[in-house]
Amino acid sequence: MYAIIFHHMVVGLAAGAGTLMGLCAILAWLSRYVSNLESSQSTLDKASYAASILTLVTIPLAMFSGYYSVSDPASSAILYNKFIFSGIALGFTASYISGRVRFGSNIWDNSALANLQMLSALFALTAIMILGSIGSKITLGESTLDILPFWPEFMNSIVINQWMSMFLLILGISSVLFSFRIMGDKPISDLD
Amino acid sequence: MRSRFLVLSIILALLLASSSGVANPGGKGDSNRDFTCGGSCHGDPSLSSVSTAEILINASSTAFTGTATEVSISISGMDLSENNLVGIFLLGSKNGNDDHPEDHGWQIIQDPNGGTSNYVEMISDADSVTANWVLLAPMDEGIKEIFSSIHHGSIYNPNNKAFIGETEGFIVNIEPVPENYPRLQEGWVSPDERISGDSSPIIVRTVNTDSLSVLWRLSGETQSHEASVEIIEDQVWEVSLPATLGDTRIEYQIIASKGEFNNQIPWLSMGTSDPYFDGTSLGAKIQSLSFTLIILGFMLSLQAWFSTRGVKKLVDHTNEVEESILDESGDYWSRLIPSDQNPGWLWDPIEKEWVADPNNPPRGEQ
Repeated sequence: MYAIIFHHMVVGLAAGAGTLMGLCAILAWLSRYVSNLESSQSTLDKASYAASILTLVTIPLAMFSGYYSVSDPASSAILYNKFIFSGIALGFTASYISGRVRFGSNIWDNSALANLQMLSALFALTAIMILGSIGSKITLGESTLDILPFWPEFMNSIVINQWMSMFLLILGISSVLFSFRIMGDKPISDLD
Repeated sequence: MRSRFLVLSIILALLLASSSGVANPGGKGDSNRDFTCGGSCHGDPSLSSVSTAEILINASSTAFTGTATEVSISISGMDLSENNLVGIFLLGSKNGNDDHPEDHGWQIIQDPNGGTSNYVEMISDADSVTANWVLLAPMDEGIKEIFSSIHHGSIYNPNNKAFIGETEGFIVNIEPVPENYPRLQEGWVSPDERISGDSSPIIVRTVNTDSLSVLWRLSGETQSHEASVEIIEDQVWEVSLPATLGDTRIEYQIIASKGEFNNQIPWLSMGTSDPYFDGTSLGAKIQSLSFTLIILGFMLSLQAWFSTRGVKKLVDHTNEVEESILDESGDYWSRLIPSDQNPGWLWDPIEKEWVADPNNPPRGEQ
């Protein structure tokens, strides 16, 4: 019972923080091109950074509370999709934070890295919007994405064999370790 | 005196804290129920009121024992609540117990929603609705009665009452089945649904049938098509109906024949269910985590890639600037000429001025 209440609360926090992260990151990116926003870049960057940290904390909490809110969390494709999109949102949020921690606020001064940072935030925001829409489809039968002329088929899901998932997990761990390794070879003060 | 007041206050507080009860305005789902759900809740006159609905039972007034017959219940003139939901009972009596048609010898082959319940909930369209049950007639001959009852809410319903409507008995004369009359086997029930995309045949069991033909149509269509039927053993038939997708319902009519008899069973229907989902909780967790790590690894690699390719050229010119400053500084000091007459001072021949020697500062300026 408490898991359901907690889930409602945490989902609200995750959605709010994720939206703030996404919007502030997009505006910070736009400030490179829109002169009126130039003076706000630092504020937008800090707001986005703080929101991304909150998002990174609240998404796993939402996943755990959601897991204990239903009797069989993987009984249907729509619930399975919530797991998958939570993972995607978490991956892009972590990428955003990683970029910000590594390169600092100067990341927005570099065109390629700024684009990458904006895309990370945008994809994280999109995944969070889809998560919210799936949730409201389950509970209310309608969702924000209903305004779109098409509705992605979330009643079906791509279920990967567990062994294949394990392989992907090992591949993911390896790629993260490899990325940290090659980042370690590169001096971190490049942008300072 | 004080303790009495305290006890009375607690009782009063508890009474005020209790919430008002509303009897399932969203319905309870299809199931097997007695009249007014066995007299509970809606049977209480203080919780119910008479519905304005007109209820008509339409069925054949005669039926052969053990043969399929259709009972159609038409309801109109209802003043429904916002969700337009109406609960419809098909009953063998109105006693409040043992009212199910099966308690009176009938067997439900299919209810209006595709199941085998005597109570169904339906959404009314324009304040009228028709519900069709397909039944096997009782095996014992004689006069049988069929009743119907409904309950529903209303938009103007300040006391949250249920509105109840009921019919008088509809008399059906159960006659002995003619010898060798073709019919469905007792106990055979129409499947209520198939998995989406499943084209596996349905099995029909009959009695006294030499040939079987089946017509099918999609729900809402008028044109019917003939299905392929194969006999797989004595009185067991395999009927191939096309696969359905989404929320499509397929309707089919079985016609059992033997000699001069041609028994046309009422239309039955079959829904489509979602395909079986074989995901597991562990699989979902692993897949989710692997996606997280793959995305993170990919984005980190891109960050590393872009940071080595463009940043240094575009942003960081510190070394170049420092080197140029050092070069300029070296040229400047090398052109200065020391003077023995003015110790501690250097002569700049270009700017035509004396400059303090940093290595040998003039007296008093250390």
